[in-house]
Amino acid sequence: MKKNSALFPRIALLAMSGALASWVAAADTGTPVITGISAEPGRVTLGFAPYPATVEYQIERADALGQPYRPDTTGFLDGFGWTGLSSAPGDGFFRVNARVLTPDALLATTLLQRIAYGPSPDDLARVRAIGPDAYIAEQLAPETITEDIDSAVITPSWRKVTVTGTGSSSSLYIYLDGAGEVYLDDIRLVAGAVDDAAKANLLRGGDFETTLGSNWILSPNVAGSALTPDEAHGGSLSMHVVSVGAGSSQSTAVYQSVAPALNAATTYTLSYWYFTSQTVTAKLTVRLSGSGITSTHGLGGAVDSPAPIFAKLKDGSATMTDLRAWHLLHAIQSRKQLTEVLRQFWENHFVTDYSKTRDYFDNAGLATDAAGRVATQLESKENLRWRAAMSDPKATFHDMLKISAESPAMIIYLDTINSKGSGTSIANENYARELCELFSFGVDNGYDQADIVQISRVWTGWSIRLVDPAQEFNPFAFVTTNYLDPNAITNKTAVTNLVGAWSFNYKAANHNTAQKKIFFNHDAKGVVTTPKLVPARFGPPWAGRDYSLTIPAGTGNPTLQEGYKLLGHMADQPFTQEFLSVKLCRLFVHDGFAIGYDFTDAETTPEEELVHACMLAWESPSNGGPKGQLREVLRTIFNSALFRSDAASLQKVKTPLEFVASAMRALRARRDDGSYTVSTDGREIQPVMDRLGRMRLFDRMEPDGYPEDAAAWISAGTLAERIRFVQAALMPAGRTGKSDVGASTQTDPVGLLRIKAPEAMRDAGKVADYFLDLLFPAEGKANLAAFRSIAVAFLDTADDGTTTSAFSALAPGTSAYDLRLRGMVALLMATQRFQEQ
Amino acid sequence: MNVINRRSFLSHASALGLGTALSTLTDIPFVLQRALAEGSIGITGADGRAKKLIFIFLRGANDGLNAVVPFGDPSYGPPNRKNILIEKDPGQPFDARGKALFPVSGQTTPTFDYTSGLPLGNGFAALHPALKFLAPVYNAGDLALIHRVGYPKQSRSHFDSQNYWETGSPNSNLVKDGLLYRAMIESGLAHSSPLTGVSIGSSLPLILRGSKAAMTNLSDPTRYNLLAVPNTPQGNLKADAALAAANKAQFTGKRDRDLLALQYGNLASTLDIFAQLDFSETGNTFVDDEATDGDLPYSLFPTTNAKNGGFARANNAQKYVVPTSAYGFFLNLKAASLVLNKTSALVAGTSIDGWDTHSNQGAATGSQANLLRRIGWAVYALRKYFTKYADKCRWDDLVIVTLSEFGRTTIENSDNGTDHAEANVMFVAGGGVKGLETDALGTVKRSGVFNCGGSSDPIAWQTGQNGSMFQSTGRYLKRNTDYRSVLGKLIRDHLGATQTQLDRIIPGYTDPKESLKARGVQTRDGTEVIGEPDIV
Repeated sequence: MKKNSALFPRIALLAMSGALASWVAAADTGTPVITGISAEPGRVTLGFAPYPATVEYQIERADALGQPYRPDTTGFLDGFGWTGLSSAPGDGFFRVNARVLTPDALLATTLLQRIAYGPSPDDLARVRAIGPDAYIAEQLAPETITEDIDSAVITPSWRKVTVTGTGSSSSLYIYLDGAGEVYLDDIRLVAGAVDDAAKANLLRGGDFETTLGSNWILSPNVAGSALTPDEAHGGSLSMHVVSVGAGSSQSTAVYQSVAPALNAATTYTLSYWYFTSQTVTAKLTVRLSGSGITSTHGLGGAVDSPAPIFAKLKDGSATMTDLRAWHLLHAIQSRKQLTEVLRQFWENHFVTDYSKTRDYFDNAGLATDAAGRVATQLESKENLRWRAAMSDPKATFHDMLKISAESPAMIIYLDTINSKGSGTSIANENYARELCELFSFGVDNGYDQADIVQISRVWTGWSIRLVDPAQEFNPFAFVTTNYLDPNAITNKTAVTNLVGAWSFNYKAANHNTAQKKIFFNHDAKGVVTTPKLVPARFGPPWAGRDYSLTIPAGTGNPTLQEGYKLLGHMADQPFTQEFLSVKLCRLFVHDGFAIGYDFTDAETTPEEELVHACMLAWESPSNGGPKGQLREVLRTIFNSALFRSDAASLQKVKTPLEFVASAMRALRARRDDGSYTVSTDGREIQPVMDRLGRMRLFDRMEPDGYPEDAAAWISAGTLAERIRFVQAALMPAGRTGKSDVGASTQTDPVGLLRIKAPEAMRDAGKVADYFLDLLFPAEGKANLAAFRSIAVAFLDTADDGTTTSAFSALAPGTSAYDLRLRGMVALLMATQRFQEQ
Repeated sequence: MNVINRRSFLSHASALGLGTALSTLTDIPFVLQRALAEGSIGITGADGRAKKLIFIFLRGANDGLNAVVPFGDPSYGPPNRKNILIEKDPGQPFDARGKALFPVSGQTTPTFDYTSGLPLGNGFAALHPALKFLAPVYNAGDLALIHRVGYPKQSRSHFDSQNYWETGSPNSNLVKDGLLYRAMIESGLAHSSPLTGVSIGSSLPLILRGSKAAMTNLSDPTRYNLLAVPNTPQGNLKADAALAAANKAQFTGKRDRDLLALQYGNLASTLDIFAQLDFSETGNTFVDDEATDGDLPYSLFPTTNAKNGGFARANNAQKYVVPTSAYGFFLNLKAASLVLNKTSALVAGTSIDGWDTHSNQGAATGSQANLLRRIGWAVYALRKYFTKYADKCRWDDLVIVTLSEFGRTTIENSDNGTDHAEANVMFVAGGGVKGLETDALGTVKRSGVFNCGGSSDPIAWQTGQNGSMFQSTGRYLKRNTDYRSVLGKLIRDHLGATQTQLDRIIPGYTDPKESLKARGVQTRDGTEVIGEPDIV
């Protein structure tokens, strides 16, 4: 037996008194509890509470105290009940055994739910194979993971497109929406909702192996099209469509009149192969007149590749939709899953607001779309910096904090941009307050209003400027002198005529030059008295430490250092250690962590102890390096008994981002040809996250970031949208409701079964078992019995909900099989249990 | 859901020493939150109905001076407002006669083609002609028009000012969640009732957002059903039944499983509720109980040309009651009305964009007029709907309130528009609203116009070039009422919050420096305000 599937028993006891009428359940806490028992001659019935992560329940019986327990095989289990047909109904003792997942098996599922965006079929198999500790080690060192999804050169290859619809007309058109060329092959049109290989092709000459003849007519626009041996998918020839201009209908298309005529009320499936191209920008359309069946797409052949978006992020041409798509595609696809989870954590912890940034540049004179691109780039840059920083093995919280403070998006968002402390000006307190409350110490944790006033003066002068790109990281650079039109006479220096990078820029003239005494106590008149000391509740080594900071008066550019000095000072204070440890524990373990534990009193909980352990790892890293190393803290969490126990497993609800990404990942397996059983362009599923409670990435208006806890996201209305999302994601192309997720979002559960469980395909029970293990790997098979019977019943029932229709009688590859399976998988993903992680 | 009688629980709780002064209800088991909550937000009366509220956010900042027009101030007029002027009809009486002049005599089509301001009967103020349908509501005593509303140190940024209106905490980012969200948390029902706060629009607005409970947004109420593969009627029923069976499955306890079970239950019950509601166009059969125009009873929610005023009869776009661009808003308003009238929801709201009239604002007609026509008909129609079609919410149970982030400049700009300014108008309507009151002889006992009555106002409207319209930074109408006083009054005296709850819903409500409850000076900028207007 492989290590990862080894199981061990746990024991529960039921003491039974002599009289049949007075069964008493004496529960041993932490084991399956018998909740009721009754007996009559020849029959014993008992019920018990579900036990976490149980693979199998077993009832044992001892005839008397002191006698050995032996499995009672006289009865049968039904869910969490058992009926035994005992031949000796007299005195007896019963207990329930639970065979549970091994610690490694349980940890593997928790890891994929927390340090990754949910299990994927491939990752689940992989983590079970390499073991959870190897996965932790790998994910904590993302620099050791090879990944090229942002740089992948997409080699031209044949891609298949399948689209289902109705026979709106008998004229089929093929055209490009601009000048260009494309190779097409093996185009088929069949009746039904799937490309059923057994069905006859309703198109003539669809294999493009014989002359075009009268089968395919070339309109003038595409008169240069011809069969060619240059590329071929099946056989030796393909159709080379050459278009000199935009096509839109029969008169500008390669077309065929299908005979006999199609029926407008009938469902058909169109499929074809095209050869991808990275150079042709025109889009290909293949459709029926009347658009009952329509397929339009670019020829890049990689709708789900983040590489083209990454190129746009780098050159500044990306829109917010692009950035969100890139973020989602990384969450779904990246092997550096922990890095992606943490990048979202930092993005959300140091929250900024795309809309406010865009408005700023709009007001500064840029057109709305240009303003949007600049705002997108600023979001993108801070995220790329966090990601790069995390690849340093000794990256610290201080590093993350500095990146945020220097980000123009933050400088705009929390109003340091125009903050002045010079002369009689009063500094804007916005950033100072959130730096304390939300970014480092945590609310009401070690600071007061007087500190905020002092800190706000430190940040006066932190502004932004459009500088020469070479000067991007010079905070004293002047405005760029690269002009779009160097000869412009009027408005030569308008932002619309400047080429450069919007960068952090220090304006010493705005700075408050006075001495700042931060983290001091004050008397009733507001006069500084004594330094603040770390409260006693922190215990050693922190309690009683003087954490005050005096910044002497200063002038000119050197005063920039005041901000850096303050960040360095605050980054490793016990308040920051506590607040960030609590937030990371909430992210990875469960939501029930708080700030304010008394680390010195006798009362403690596993949660308090874990926070304390994180703080110690922060304060005194085992590698002797700097304080605040993220990997030291994360390792402490991942190695903790709490994280590895049932107290963490499935104890959180997915945020909208986690829900969408995990649903895509759950069904995404790699096919032999390198394609995947799930694809999405990342753009069309963004509106879903808005409907799930307005989780607009990079665009949180409130500075506290999107919440982690369930109550913030789960309501009847948002659940309706969550369910609609998984149903739309499983909907075959072309059906009503698919538009919720867009045509680019495709799932193929049949294809998944073909790869992962081909032997199960004709057996409803085995199919159910495969998906239950994939979607709910931490629940334990025995606890999923009810779901299993519901899933099997669903598979064995026709769409009308009443007629028995054995799944085993449906042939894989048929429309009926495909729809039945899709419906069952969508049902499982619509349940309460799929909301959890 | 309320299995425990609240008051009996409270007596038990105090006997057990649990106390009732909870600063937050969110750490209490969900089913007990209502039982432990103070006040009566969401508590149904003997008739089974609770008090409810509809909010309409006029995003972009409505020009209040052209909505409730201060004709009594000679500064209202050229040259300050030349191209955007609402005319005063010299042929109509403009005295303190009590009721608004409606319909204007001598008009053949009494509700159409008004080109000048409608005198409101207080001898000072008039309605923009596009708001003419407010007049019957006003005359019924169900409308309060509150002028000069703002807050200390008014921000003229849309972003900041909308934030402040929605969080209830001006010039501060101490409060990060929504004002009505907090009211719903205080009700104790946010986790146990299927619906409490609902918005209809593209996404949940800040006023209903917060981190402890998810309010509901319906971007499209016709979406409120569970899609299922393969999306056939019988197939969807099959999937719904399977999901219902799955909901009954027993599992081990986990932290969020009670919440999930509760909200899946709420989903099932709201699906049932919504399944009986018809949000579709064919379900839009709600019509007026009178022939508005001597024509025929009009549709209350104009969502198509045929349902827009007298068009169906006259086949004449002149008979539209709202612009054709208003159908989306009325679709949302209809959904909000159905939700309040047919479900347990307590608060519902939507918004209208486009009020940022920096250029070509128009006067009696034009872009602002087209937006105001929506408001006029909306309030008129809601009164009719919640009277004629009342189910879980009667007109007497409802308050409608409009929000808008700031007013616009007293003086028009060179683009025939107005720029960001300060104080503004709020519209508050409902059966329980204290609007116009006259005695049997028609003598006015109370006007429905607040703060736009000239010298009779508690803090007088000072007229002329140094008057109220120029008293803030020399360019802006000066406030004499804080928006929080209006919303606070409604939340406490209409929805049923206790004063203690209100102090949590609107932080600093009883701070003497804020003067929100009673007349006084707001010390942040030294402006005197009236405290709470007596509107409910």
